[in-house]
Amino acid sequence: MNLNDQILIHHFLEKSARDFPEKVALIHEDIRATYAQINSKADQLACLLGDLGVTKGDRVVLILENCLEYVVSYYGILKAGAVAVPLSSDIKPEGIGFFLKELEPKVIIASNRSERALKAADITPYNIGALILRSPKFKWDSTTFSVFVWEDFINEKGNFAPDIKIDESSLACIIYTSGSTGIPKGVMLSHKNIVSNTNSICEYLRLTNKDIQMVVLPFFYVMGKSLLNTHFAVGGSVVINNKFAFPASVVKQMAVEQVTGFSGVPSTYAYLLHRSPLADYRKSLDSLRYCSQAGGHMSFQIKDELRKTLPAHTEIYIMYGATEASARLTYLEPEHLYDRKDSIGKAIPGVTVRIMGADNKEVSPGRIGEVVGAGANIMQGYWKDKQATERVLDKNGYHTGDLGYQDKEGFLYVVGRKDNLLKVGGHRINPQEIEDAIMESGLVIEAVVLGLPDELLGDKLVAIATPKDGDVNESHILSKCAQKLPRYKLPGSVILVKGLPKINSGKINRSKCLEFITGNKD
Amino acid sequence: MSELKDKIRSFIVDNFLFGNDDGLTDGASFLEEGIIDSTGILELVSYIEEEFPFSIEDEELIPENLDSINNVVNYIEKKSS
Repeated sequence: MNLNDQILIHHFLEKSARDFPEKVALIHEDIRATYAQINSKADQLACLLGDLGVTKGDRVVLILENCLEYVVSYYGILKAGAVAVPLSSDIKPEGIGFFLKELEPKVIIASNRSERALKAADITPYNIGALILRSPKFKWDSTTFSVFVWEDFINEKGNFAPDIKIDESSLACIIYTSGSTGIPKGVMLSHKNIVSNTNSICEYLRLTNKDIQMVVLPFFYVMGKSLLNTHFAVGGSVVINNKFAFPASVVKQMAVEQVTGFSGVPSTYAYLLHRSPLADYRKSLDSLRYCSQAGGHMSFQIKDELRKTLPAHTEIYIMYGATEASARLTYLEPEHLYDRKDSIGKAIPGVTVRIMGADNKEVSPGRIGEVVGAGANIMQGYWKDKQATERVLDKNGYHTGDLGYQDKEGFLYVVGRKDNLLKVGGHRINPQEIEDAIMESGLVIEAVVLGLPDELLGDKLVAIATPKDGDVNESHILSKCAQKLPRYKLPGSVILVKGLPKINSGKINRSKCLEFITGNKD
Repeated sequence: MSELKDKIRSFIVDNFLFGNDDGLTDGASFLEEGIIDSTGILELVSYIEEEFPFSIEDEELIPENLDSINNVVNYIEKKSS
């Protein structure tokens, strides 16, 4: 199969619906939906959106957890020539106005889970044409926009044949990323951005229609989205499990559904290792071909424990990327997990990654600079934010804000974030190094190191960690760290908690952690 | 309503719904309804372990035991018996 003939994202679905119409594309609890069913519903939705006046370039906001309706909506919006803008399904009322104001969406598709927030937010001022709600619980009388119940709406027959005159450079998705400032930025991704990245990922993971992916990451997060795109591109299947908070149920379903792939961020694996019966299921995971990890640096401690816990035939792919890169920039071939310890590997097919100095010139191997990626996957820019776009995009590509280096054989390493460096006394300190040392103690599941403003020191180091068991205390951790770190890199205190606050993708929410400490101090 | 159910309901309402129990039914899935996220489940686990004389094993961290007020109550009753 030549994937390169597909130039728009929904072509992947259409091709798989032609090649494998009766194949189960999506499994979610009791639902098993085939490619033909999903494609036909997506066609129907595209027509219905056309009836509502949605046309090329219009934004349609999706506030849905991972489910069949999300998938139908995503492809339906793209088929209508519109732009899919997925937002977190846990959005709070006070957050909604910001997005609606800058996106000016024509339609919102949401589930009853976010209905309460939409009701509380008062979305009347934002000139929305229609709100489509799955299983609504509230009455929506006297609104200035039309309100439809998804279950009725999707069974209507749309009359409008959508104006599909879009090309590969057309905007397909806006995905929000919070960045260092905490103000969300809308990453604009074209069909070409996503299609090219999807093709690269399918190539290096050697995905085929036999692949079955367990999805615990939300589709509104770029890595979750790439799991959907890649498996629909090859005619594989995705198994949705939104209950990773109960890791045992996920591991069990992986065995039952005989999944071939699992993907997570560092905390996903920390919890799989320490809060689930993964080791007991080792013998039941005979289909599990690989596990992939992205979404930030994962300590070597976890990689090593994972390698020892997973079945020997399950490969581990360490990957690196950014929302701005449609997901993926680099990956490490599994056989290098130990001999290229902590490397993020090399650029994926079709992408170049270079380490650049402050003078915007490539630095020599071994020297630290900024990681800069270039290729067809790099975003068009940030939605309505030219200044922010100009700060990160130039002729060299996308400046990730990550600091890293390359070894003599071209393997890349990320050492930290440009804006995460802390100043303690006269020293510049990279919190990642201290977090790694805490993890290496083998006493904790996850850890974060933050700087608290301090008049004398500049920053004062504080760690928050989740202990593996109740017997672990602060001095155990600090004494282990003292064997690895010089005194000035030792945190002043280690606060032990049951779990670190996360954003929806499962990444640690550093600003919430900081609030937690300052709240503690006040 | 049983005393145990009352106790669990109050914990959920006070810690995750900011004291407003509007529409929270005993059978509602904490995760599906967006009442508790994954960190919240761990808070619930640690609350149960502090309040009751048993610990929760990793394989018991499943929705059938912990994903609604009813499930939590049934689970605690089973473990305590």
